Amino acid sequence: MSISYQELGNQTWLVSVSGRLDQNQTPDLEARLNTLLEEGHNRILIDLSDVNYINSGGLRCLVTAWRRAKKDGGNVVLTGLKSRVNEVFSMVGFDKVFEVYPSRKLALQSWQEKQ
Amino acid sequence: MATRWLMATPSSSPFNASVTFMDKKDSLTVPGRYNEIRHICDFVAEGAAQAGFDEDAIFQVQLACDEACTNIIEHTYEAENAGKIQISWEIGRRTFTIIIEDSGKRFDPGEIPPAPVPPTAVRVGQEEDYDVKVGGLGVYFMRKLMDKVTFHYNEGSGNVLTMEKRLPEK
Repeated sequence: MSISYQELGNQTWLVSVSGRLDQNQTPDLEARLNTLLEEGHNRILIDLSDVNYINSGGLRCLVTAWRRAKKDGGNVVLTGLKSRVNEVFSMVGFDKVFEVYPSRKLALQSWQEKQ
Repeated sequence: MATRWLMATPSSSPFNASVTFMDKKDSLTVPGRYNEIRHICDFVAEGAAQAGFDEDAIFQVQLACDEACTNIIEHTYEAENAGKIQISWEIGRRTFTIIIEDSGKRFDPGEIPPAPVPPTAVRVGQEEDYDVKVGGLGVYFMRKLMDKVTFHYNEGSGNVLTMEKRLPEK
């Protein structure tokens, strides 16, 4: 799995993930998200376009970051969910927890409109 | 190091003694480590493909096994490298059966908190509303993705998890 991140401006950060979000790989993402949140960056867009597998540990990592961002007045939103990854989200209703966008552009547009 | 063996055993039909059915089965033993779970997923995927499942069903079998083995490391061994995981699959007449064994402490699925009922109740507005429950997802997935899931504990040898999925219609 690889993780890259960049500031998009307006206090919004993009985190791009690729590979498998499982127990073996999730700790790296968890550490990256925790660092961003500890630095006060609580508006995070996570791009999962290159994630082909997620298990409950991956879901737990994302929900934990979402919960923390929400409590700090921010949000963690998602884009690029492949059908199988989306199926896993749907099975536990997490597709209703997160704001999920079909593209980065639409996610950012939505964020700007809400400001 | 993983060890595996492949067997094919004849079983006779209770309905027609002239019919001989060859069960396909295979087994694998790996150390209880997270980085072995991918190996386990590939192993069960191979069996599920031989059983005739499509890619979606193979994915479901892999995820169920992933969750089961993750639970073993987290809840019965309570650490990585604390014991082995033995996994076997068998293609029967009507079902694909996976048996996962460990020698850790007794696993009682009743002690695992219930998973969220979809859609997860989230009301926006109050801080406590963001307290989405994330415990129990592993067992929830296993039960959701497989047709039958049973947990058994043998004194002296450990936990035996059996998961079954009906074979696809031909």
